[in-house]
Amino acid sequence: MTITTLTPRELRAERWRLRVRGWRDFWSRFVRRKDGIIGLLILGVFAALALAPSFFVGPLQTVTTATGGRLEPPSPGYPLGTDEVGRSILNLTVHGARVSMVIGLLATVVTVGIGAVLGIVSGYVGGRTDTLLMRITDFFLVIPTFVLALILAPIVLDIVGTDAELFGIRVTLLAIVIVIGVTSWASTARIIRSQALSVKERMFVDRARVIGASSSHIMRRHILPNVVALIVANTVLVFAGAILTETTLAFIGLGDPFQPSWGQILNAAQSAGAPGLGAWWYLIPPAACIVLVVLAFTLLGSALDDVLNPRLRGRR
Amino acid sequence: MGGRYLARRIVQTIVTIAFIVILNFLLFRMMPGSPERVLFRNPNITPAVLAEARARWGLDKPLIPDQLVSYVRSTITGDLGYSLKFRGQSVTEVIATRIWPTVILFGLGEIIAIVLGLSLGSYSGWKRGGTIDYLGNGLSLVLYSMPYFLIGMLMLLIFATTLGWFPTSGMFTIGATYASPIEQVADFCRHLVLPVATVALGLVGQYSILMRSSIVDTLSEDYVSTARAKGLTESRILRTHALPNALLPTVTLIAINLGYVVAGAITVEVVFNWPGIGTLTVDALAARDYPMLQGIFLILSVAVVLANLAADVVYGFLDPRVRV
Repeated sequence: MTITTLTPRELRAERWRLRVRGWRDFWSRFVRRKDGIIGLLILGVFAALALAPSFFVGPLQTVTTATGGRLEPPSPGYPLGTDEVGRSILNLTVHGARVSMVIGLLATVVTVGIGAVLGIVSGYVGGRTDTLLMRITDFFLVIPTFVLALILAPIVLDIVGTDAELFGIRVTLLAIVIVIGVTSWASTARIIRSQALSVKERMFVDRARVIGASSSHIMRRHILPNVVALIVANTVLVFAGAILTETTLAFIGLGDPFQPSWGQILNAAQSAGAPGLGAWWYLIPPAACIVLVVLAFTLLGSALDDVLNPRLRGRR
Repeated sequence: MGGRYLARRIVQTIVTIAFIVILNFLLFRMMPGSPERVLFRNPNITPAVLAEARARWGLDKPLIPDQLVSYVRSTITGDLGYSLKFRGQSVTEVIATRIWPTVILFGLGEIIAIVLGLSLGSYSGWKRGGTIDYLGNGLSLVLYSMPYFLIGMLMLLIFATTLGWFPTSGMFTIGATYASPIEQVADFCRHLVLPVATVALGLVGQYSILMRSSIVDTLSEDYVSTARAKGLTESRILRTHALPNALLPTVTLIAINLGYVVAGAITVEVVFNWPGIGTLTVDALAARDYPMLQGIFLILSVAVVLANLAADVVYGFLDPRVRV
């Protein structure tokens, strides 16, 4: 029997080939899910709006640059009408896509980051660490985290101040991101932990340990790649939740009036009395965007979950 | 039900509540600024006076354990401090007057949503692939994607402003005098319809999705096949075999959902200007009334934790398998 050793180059080629096959395999299963494709298309449209809002509707209108009348219904000049200070609702809504999506994305990164790290460590290390981390997780699962976010937000805002900027993003928005992140990671941690627990028992983890790999190496190189599919599916669902939480926080007055998200627009609509004045054009555009985006994420998320989650594979 | 299971759950609940109290204590001491600086805006204040004030409020003692112990002691006796916004009133008093409107609104909304959601869900699951399933699923998904306040604003726009069927805000007509208590109740009910419908609609989507998948899972169980093989009618199988078992997981999930319902409560009340805990929270937020926010967080969290305990106890009674 001869043992062939692969040169590093061949090894890389082989790895690449396997990866491409994995992707193709995934894609062929994914395209069969019509709901996932619809979700992806809707998100594509909103991603385009979020990337270049000024390209579609010009720069964000402010109170000083507003040109329209007060609360005017849709007209050829203002396809979606105007708000109480004469800004075009179309302009606000398209720019709102950027704010909502960016906050949603960053909050998702923080949430999934915390959840994945805690989940992997808890599942792999086990013992007392696991017990302690899972107690904390259960605590965050059972308390109403939205209320926690609600009281945390003004505290964080008071600490960081309201005028500072970091990497060109106003810190008020970052405060919201942090608040959403630290209050919503618990279910992610639970899901990742359960998967890490089963990956840990696989043979290759023992082999790695036998040849002297450190715990952190095993977690990064062996556990993480095997839970990544689950992380992806979970990320999409977390994104939907983050956008809903941001919308709600902004609606009750914790948003940033200078960078209006969809929730912030609805907050302004509510304080301008739009529902009572019958100003439907002020409500429907941001509302439709929220529903479409959350719906798209939910559709995509459940499709990905079915395709990627090993336990659900082949159901239905 | 097994005494040990019950005892363990009760201990868990007590520990959770203790953590909530400690978190509450620490959170509000993370705030920038300290009480004596806010209350003494006098630049000429002498260190001696300041030290005396600190001693009187116990701020000279270490945060842990002294300040924590006195905080826990007063929390247990129901003393949550004084509101900054509602001057002279204690937090407990203000919350007590605001809690009933919220309980009525959400109690009713929750009951309607459970009845509607569970029936719609079980029917869709039973007739999987049918028209009702198709429509119900789509509707549930859309409702599920809507924040509560959005449903409320649209309801307000359609049924109060455009159609004029219901009043737009509050719990009673402002300045109204009532000839009889019945008239007052009628006025209250007219104000209640839209908020309750909003809460119910916000919840019905989740409950129906949940019940549908639960029924679908149950219908593929062996005992259902056995029942079919015995020749029972489909409706009998649904009523006596599938439904009771499919309802079990929903008990837990409804309890877990309560935390999110609380979030919805706050926003729905703002839309309809309903004088409950939700509007109180938003007013307190705007005024940075920290003692009030602290009290609200405590009350709401403890309520949700206790509801979870109640759900687990109910589950234990319904399902003999967990009584070990």
